Amino acid sequence: MKLVRAGDSHEIDVEVISRDGAIVRIRIGNRELAAEFSPNTDGGGLLVIDGRRYPIFSARRKDSILVSVGPASFEFKPAEVASRRRARGLAATEITAPMPGKILKVLVRDGDLVEAGQPLVVIEAMKMETTLAAESAAMVKQVRVEEGQTVDHGAVVIELSPPPASSGRESAPRAE
Amino acid sequence: MARPLTKLLVANRGEIALRIIRSARLFGLKTVAVYSEADTQSMHVSAADEAIAIGPAEAAMSYLNIASIIAAAKRSGADAIHPGYGFLSERAEFAQAVSDAQIVFVGPRPEVMAALGDKVAARRIAVAAGVPVVPGIETAEIGAAREFAARAGYPILIKAAAGGGGRGMRVVAEAAQLEPALEAATREAAAAFGDGRIFVEKYLARPRHIEIQILGDEHGNVIALGERDCSIQRRHQKIIEESPAPGLSDEMRAKMIEAALKLARAAHYTSAGTAEFLVEGDNFYFLEVNARLQVEHPVTEMRFGCDLVCEQLRIAAGGKVSAPADPRGAAIECRINAEDPEHDFRPATGTVLHLSVPGGPGVRFDSHLARGAEVTPWYDGLLGKLICYGANREQARGRLVNALGEFALLGVTNNAAYVRDIIASEQFRDAKLSTHFIDEFFSTWKLSAAEIDAAIVAAAIAAGDPQVEATLQRSGNKHRSPWDGLNSFELWRSRR
Repeated sequence: MKLVRAGDSHEIDVEVISRDGAIVRIRIGNRELAAEFSPNTDGGGLLVIDGRRYPIFSARRKDSILVSVGPASFEFKPAEVASRRRARGLAATEITAPMPGKILKVLVRDGDLVEAGQPLVVIEAMKMETTLAAESAAMVKQVRVEEGQTVDHGAVVIELSPPPASSGRESAPRAE
Repeated sequence: MARPLTKLLVANRGEIALRIIRSARLFGLKTVAVYSEADTQSMHVSAADEAIAIGPAEAAMSYLNIASIIAAAKRSGADAIHPGYGFLSERAEFAQAVSDAQIVFVGPRPEVMAALGDKVAARRIAVAAGVPVVPGIETAEIGAAREFAARAGYPILIKAAAGGGGRGMRVVAEAAQLEPALEAATREAAAAFGDGRIFVEKYLARPRHIEIQILGDEHGNVIALGERDCSIQRRHQKIIEESPAPGLSDEMRAKMIEAALKLARAAHYTSAGTAEFLVEGDNFYFLEVNARLQVEHPVTEMRFGCDLVCEQLRIAAGGKVSAPADPRGAAIECRINAEDPEHDFRPATGTVLHLSVPGGPGVRFDSHLARGAEVTPWYDGLLGKLICYGANREQARGRLVNALGEFALLGVTNNAAYVRDIIASEQFRDAKLSTHFIDEFFSTWKLSAAEIDAAIVAAAIAAGDPQVEATLQRSGNKHRSPWDGLNSFELWRSRR
């Protein structure tokens, strides 16, 4: 299966090759790992890889798989889900609000050409300002919000289309 | 003057509201929580004896709404209000309004708060009390600046008197750069702020942030409860705090405590407060007084075996502070924030889907989190504070690293792995502390590749086979363990 980490466009190709008791053999890209996995009664489990022990927990949220490894937490989406939001030559066709908040500034207009990393919208949440930037070169198809408006988590803020001169790159480099 | 209290309203939310309610109960008080529409199910609401809604989610209309909070106090019959930290805690007009309503404010008197809240006035009080401040003069005149620089020594910082946030600031390394820098700064200040006044002051290249905890009562007694080193900051936000300050000599400590006490006496300070200093080499300079309980107060409590909220309540009831016990061991605190350290620390929100709280000797977790708790965008992102005590710094540090290893939080992206890596680092172990610590050592932090691999393995196990997964979802099976993916994997294999 192919997984994508939230906030990342890199696809991780992962496959469970075999399982023999607690021993799980897994392929990540072209690497193979052997892991020992024991589920716990608390819904978590212990994963041992290369002699290192990792307490892990997992939960589902919509189409995401949430995983914690010790204090580190991760969000994965199946690549099919992530790719629905992806068009040729674009890292994303929509810029969505990463959190509920208030739109402070809209820095682009419909039809603008933007570069990777170019700030599009400034959103305020939790007393902090966050700038949403283009992940790849694109054309602003439609600005869907106004300054001062409040938005929910996941709301589409800006729609993007490929830039006119796009040569149709498969995956654009992510700005950040 | 004894003033028996019976019921305390806590004008705050989150971990600090819960923490205050716990001590108030111990002190024998009934407790009243207040909450906004975003916090109806928050832990502080159920922890208190009663709870009163004070307005919509926007802080300006609820936790910052003085009229609404005082009305809640009147309605519940509370005879005291504790403001916590943040929100209204340092608003003199709030302390005044509480007092005007014949309710005891758990904190310093309004006029003391007003005087210390104004940075220029606070600096004046410090200078008058003989407490050192960062040496500096207000001048845009090259002769005076040159003379000052020669006296204070380079590097020198030039900044706009009206400025803030680093705008119009210039570090001057040597005499030859002084004149052009002064001219440019004056021009910029006038253009940016419409005010060409310039401060020329000594530049502290690698200062540490060390603060002294003070407690004063209305009988004129003031005591100090040691220091906290809060040098590890990100964009001026403290992340890790500890006591004692590593490597601080007894002589320096004694001098800083003396300065803090002089300041507190000069300001007729009552209740808990903190005098903040910058320390460089053998010199220390007064920064400001925080006229409230600090976020990081547990570090002091762990070493002194005291309860600072109970002390505040005793003082508010007209009681006296008593001489502190001798401090023991070492304590370190880290803040767990709802933010994404892998994406420029952008704020995170969400519902807590899983929480593992660490335990063991010397481990304290002050938090309002529970499974199902909502972290909303309305308030600051502090999720909790993990504090560890040890016989010495290394033991406290080891316990904190282990405790963070036991910590797990799903559903709200947070900085726990980031602070774990800082506390486990050799730079922190060796106490290479300055306010530039993060810039120097952790500006390009990344999760370890081994942990990312482990996460991918865990996700693959949890995901199982997509087809089976789809079938399970269609069958509407809602009572699945998160590892059902593994079972589905078994199904999948038996099918082949």
